[in-house]
Amino acid sequence: MGSDEAYNFVFKVVLIGESGVGKSNLLSRFTKNEFNHDSRTTIGVEFSTRTVQLNGFYIKAQIWDTAGLERYRAITSAYYRGAVGALLVYDITKHLTYESVERWLKELYDHADPHIVVMLVGNKTDLESERSVPTEEAKDFAEKKGLLFLETSALQSTNVEAAFNKVLEEIHKKVNSKEVVRGSINAVTLNSSRAESQEEEKKPCCKNI
Amino acid sequence: MAKTEQRNGLELQGNTEKLTDSNGKSSSNGLEPEVNGSIPEETQVDKYGFTGGAQQSAGELAEEVPIAVLRQREAKWLEMLNSWDKWMAKKHNKVKERCQKGIPPSLRGRAWLYLTGAKVKREQNKGRFEELDIQPGDPKWVDVIERDLHRQFPFHEMFAARGGHGQQDLFRVLKAYTLHRPDEGYCQAQAPVAAVLLMHMPAEDAFWVLVQICEKYLPGYYSTGLEAIQLDGEILYALLRGVSPVAHRHLKKHKLEPILYMTEWFMCAFSRTLPWSSVLRVWDMFLCEGVKILFRVGLVLLKCMLGTQEKVKTCQGLYETMELLKKIQPQYTREGFLVQEIIDLPVSEKNIEKEHQAQLRRWKESRGDLSCKSPPRMHGAKAIMSAEPPSRQELRQRPTIIVESPLAAETEAVPGDEVKGSKKAAKANGHTTTVLPPDGIVNLSDLSSTLHHTTTQGSKESLSSAEHDTYL
Repeated sequence: MGSDEAYNFVFKVVLIGESGVGKSNLLSRFTKNEFNHDSRTTIGVEFSTRTVQLNGFYIKAQIWDTAGLERYRAITSAYYRGAVGALLVYDITKHLTYESVERWLKELYDHADPHIVVMLVGNKTDLESERSVPTEEAKDFAEKKGLLFLETSALQSTNVEAAFNKVLEEIHKKVNSKEVVRGSINAVTLNSSRAESQEEEKKPCCKNI
Repeated sequence: MAKTEQRNGLELQGNTEKLTDSNGKSSSNGLEPEVNGSIPEETQVDKYGFTGGAQQSAGELAEEVPIAVLRQREAKWLEMLNSWDKWMAKKHNKVKERCQKGIPPSLRGRAWLYLTGAKVKREQNKGRFEELDIQPGDPKWVDVIERDLHRQFPFHEMFAARGGHGQQDLFRVLKAYTLHRPDEGYCQAQAPVAAVLLMHMPAEDAFWVLVQICEKYLPGYYSTGLEAIQLDGEILYALLRGVSPVAHRHLKKHKLEPILYMTEWFMCAFSRTLPWSSVLRVWDMFLCEGVKILFRVGLVLLKCMLGTQEKVKTCQGLYETMELLKKIQPQYTREGFLVQEIIDLPVSEKNIEKEHQAQLRRWKESRGDLSCKSPPRMHGAKAIMSAEPPSRQELRQRPTIIVESPLAAETEAVPGDEVKGSKKAAKANGHTTTVLPPDGIVNLSDLSSTLHHTTTQGSKESLSSAEHDTYL
């Protein structure tokens, strides 16, 4: 994860959703291939990175994770800043966590870039026997709202790579389609009004930008 | 009560064996990536109860206090606790100094109970915890709390077992709080705080200390809107300018908002950030002197990690800086170094209050009035006691073994004290006697003080004794 690693882009992706749905384990599964039944409650912000290769480009995914509990909403605007992708996670065995999705979407659009790529993720498919959110229902909802959709299991590793890779791909498409203005070398932003300017020249991390 | 959950075919019914998942142990705090593997049959438990994780004692980082010194300190603390109001009124600086040296482990729980004023609260509200304990609680909070029980210090043997006593007590304390303050409910950072307390005292005591922390030391930290923590973040950042201009400039340049690095630090009072021996030293000082200790820790860490040009050169951006602050180098967090830095840092309550007013004004200008008006915070044990002076009765210790010792003869007789009766008997015998209560429960810390008095020919301790203990 050092500065020695070459990458063409850095995409900031945030994990959001109710407490206990599995955000932290999705993060650790994707960036470290780890899962822990007893991972600590997230308080404040956690983050990790992983560089993936997509269509010949090296994309450094900077994944941010935070507390899901309601009252932490008050401190999240800094969290969303510069995010180009989001995974909105719910627990397929807890219908309540799915019902909050609309609220989370509102929160997302209130604080994040309007062009942000969003995927609805139904996590914990390893607990199929306890399912309370039908796949089709969630899929339809996602389509209606223009969201990507996948069901995952951080525990079994099912679809975790697929979920993150799909989001990164879609972001990359937007970047390439020039719907987008590239900001600083450290972060890609989706529109010029949010471009972050750095005061000094950064050492370039790659050659072809 | 805590429900046991089924995961991947594994089910625990309140047994105390450590849970291992089918994928084996893995890093749970993001500080050190660990390889997937299986937990070896023999896991080492450190002296604090940790079997793994980043906070497990590495031995060389902790300070070892010689046993003789420890015993002396215990005697001094027992003496202080015996006439707490006097010490707090007349010799508070001595109390503070002893907290700075570290409270002896055997008396830490009790000392925290007294420092925070929780002892008094408990006495004034007899039966209250029981009342709350038997209620089912608001299902909304109960649900969230239950999801968190297995996620606090999972590497600590007290909390490792699903449905075990540690998790059960954690549930009881947190649930009771939501009933005690229904307008506040439950905030996730209260769980690690309560867990630390439970490592040192029973549930009822832990409940009252938690109440005091939430109401007196850190008011507003855990309530909806989280305004207090945001304000403290701004205060921390503002104070940093005076402490380390280089660090301050760096954070400003990269627009790294305080809320992105200090939230877990402050809301959990550094219990998830530092090696365990340092956590305990910080808490000893925090519960004595108040929130300024948390500010000092934060400032020291920021200064150490970002305080020179050389150090900030390695951090090219916001993300890199955040990463650096998540991995504080052990040389800065070890007890010996950190405690001295905290003591030496010239940041006072006045500094904090002044900055608090300034930040409050800024907040009101840009964001309007605070939606959640918390009471003003109390800056430590003395302030708490002065605000609500307790009665002698409320401070009386309740040991379950009454021990007669040479020292007891020197201390003031307390009206209505149970010791009086046995004192007469002891005087007649001329040596120590032990009176066992009907239920025969042995209080180990009282035993240790007996041992001290019988083996060291009576101490020369008095309220005005010179402090020979120069250890740290």
